[in-house]
Amino acid sequence: MNYWLNHHIQAIHLVLKRMQYNVLSTLMICTVIGVALCIPGLFYLGVDNLSKLTNHMQDETEISLFLKLDNSNDTATEVGEALAKNTLIKHYRLVTKDEAWQQLKSKAETGSEANSPIAQLNKNPLPDAFFIQSKTSDPADLETLRSSLQEIPGVEQALLNTEWAKRLSLLLQIGKKVIFFIAALLALALLIIIGNTVRMQILTQKDEIEVSKLMGATSSFIRTPFLYAGIFYGLFGGLLAVAMITCVITIFNQSIAQISNLYNSDFSLTMLNYPMFFTILISAIFIGWLGSYFAVNRSIAGFKIN
Amino acid sequence: MIKFDQVTKRYPGSYDALKNVSFSIEAGELVFVTGHSGAGKSTLLKLIAAIERPTSGTVLIANQNISKLKDSAIPYMRRKFGLVFQDHKLLYDRNCFDNVTLPLRINGVSSNEANKRVRAALDKVNLLHKEKAMPISLSGGEQQRLAIARAVVSRPSILIADEPTGNLDASYAADIMAIFHAFHQVGVTVIIATHDALGMSLRQTRVLNLNHGVLTQVALSEPLNAPTEVFKL
Repeated sequence: MNYWLNHHIQAIHLVLKRMQYNVLSTLMICTVIGVALCIPGLFYLGVDNLSKLTNHMQDETEISLFLKLDNSNDTATEVGEALAKNTLIKHYRLVTKDEAWQQLKSKAETGSEANSPIAQLNKNPLPDAFFIQSKTSDPADLETLRSSLQEIPGVEQALLNTEWAKRLSLLLQIGKKVIFFIAALLALALLIIIGNTVRMQILTQKDEIEVSKLMGATSSFIRTPFLYAGIFYGLFGGLLAVAMITCVITIFNQSIAQISNLYNSDFSLTMLNYPMFFTILISAIFIGWLGSYFAVNRSIAGFKIN
Repeated sequence: MIKFDQVTKRYPGSYDALKNVSFSIEAGELVFVTGHSGAGKSTLLKLIAAIERPTSGTVLIANQNISKLKDSAIPYMRRKFGLVFQDHKLLYDRNCFDNVTLPLRINGVSSNEANKRVRAALDKVNLLHKEKAMPISLSGGEQQRLAIARAVVSRPSILIADEPTGNLDASYAADIMAIFHAFHQVGVTVIIATHDALGMSLRQTRVLNLNHGVLTQVALSEPLNAPTEVFKL
């Protein structure tokens, strides 16, 4: 146990000393790992944030109910009564065609374009509309509610406002799959880069390995420092990736806060959470270890002392 | 301690480096292996140190058959030996102290104990004052002494030296041989391959003479008129 611990402490000590000796090349390989991990990490965060945003929108379970244009005012009241009876509806709000027309016109007037198409209209093209908040947020329940509302006489169209958000979230799922493949390809590239770096190191340490073998060093004694080198490359690279991602998000968040303000929203990109942090770090360490493991086993197997 | 029985070693695509060699070396003996270059001296030492395995015949080291040893057991077998090479095989990227520490690291000796032992080993070869120096700054003789310190620091029971004085002039060579004698006197089995008779003992020692891979004589050397400085140490 003591021997084992000693062996590992010495290996770590040796590796850190070697890295300190070759600061520049260590920094370079760590940067490569950091950048390679940063790219899928950022993509993932971007998609994740977008899907959070769409989820957020989907939570606003509003159904718009547009009445037929030729309806009288009585139809609106009748529909209103039908809505009041429906137990699935939390509350509803009627916007009559005149109100909507006024709103639209006032918006058009404040707008910069005086000759906007709206100003040129001389007849109100808008129907009466109900905006309905449902009690449920389950997409399937919402859909049944929507179709039942569609059945009410006098209703032209019942629209679930979240349709587009749903489509976007489906698209985002495809995006996540694409990210997975990008990450897998970059991991493969990293594996090769780290393997090659460790192989080069083994070549520069050839004398030491040969002398150590002559003095009765076990394969594990020779292998361990190189495995730790891979692990440290991964660790430092992973930390660098996390730092870069945090930096990028912080920079983006400043602009996003401004945009969000325009939309009266407090939306901002979420920072790296702990699961994500550890996923990046652990996968980086694992890739580092695996890359050096392959390199060391290949090189040491082909190593002949004379 | 070491027993060769009908040992033949053939390198792939080559002649027999050793042919039917049989001899035995007792614990605490000092043995010289002589012969012209290419006679098989190095091969013999490599077989003893478990660096090579015999093509046929048996090599017994401390009652263990080298040919039947598992690969994973070889490193532990090698730790019984201290090896000194003609070209020193020192590591030039670290100082003298760290060079000598390497075998102790391999043996898993704790660093406190290691520091003491390294200093003791450096002291034995008169290099304690150079512990921080880089090997490249040492003279040929000093480098060979450093290599000896490294070979003995893990207190092996067998010390094997392949042409340890090959590149050195006479007075350095005498220094080196004196050190080997000193280890022999404290009970270490010492096996030295050499093509010159310079360092051989004043007392009678056994000489294994090889000629084209064949052991031609197992002779006791005649006392030589070696310079007296040999035993300065």
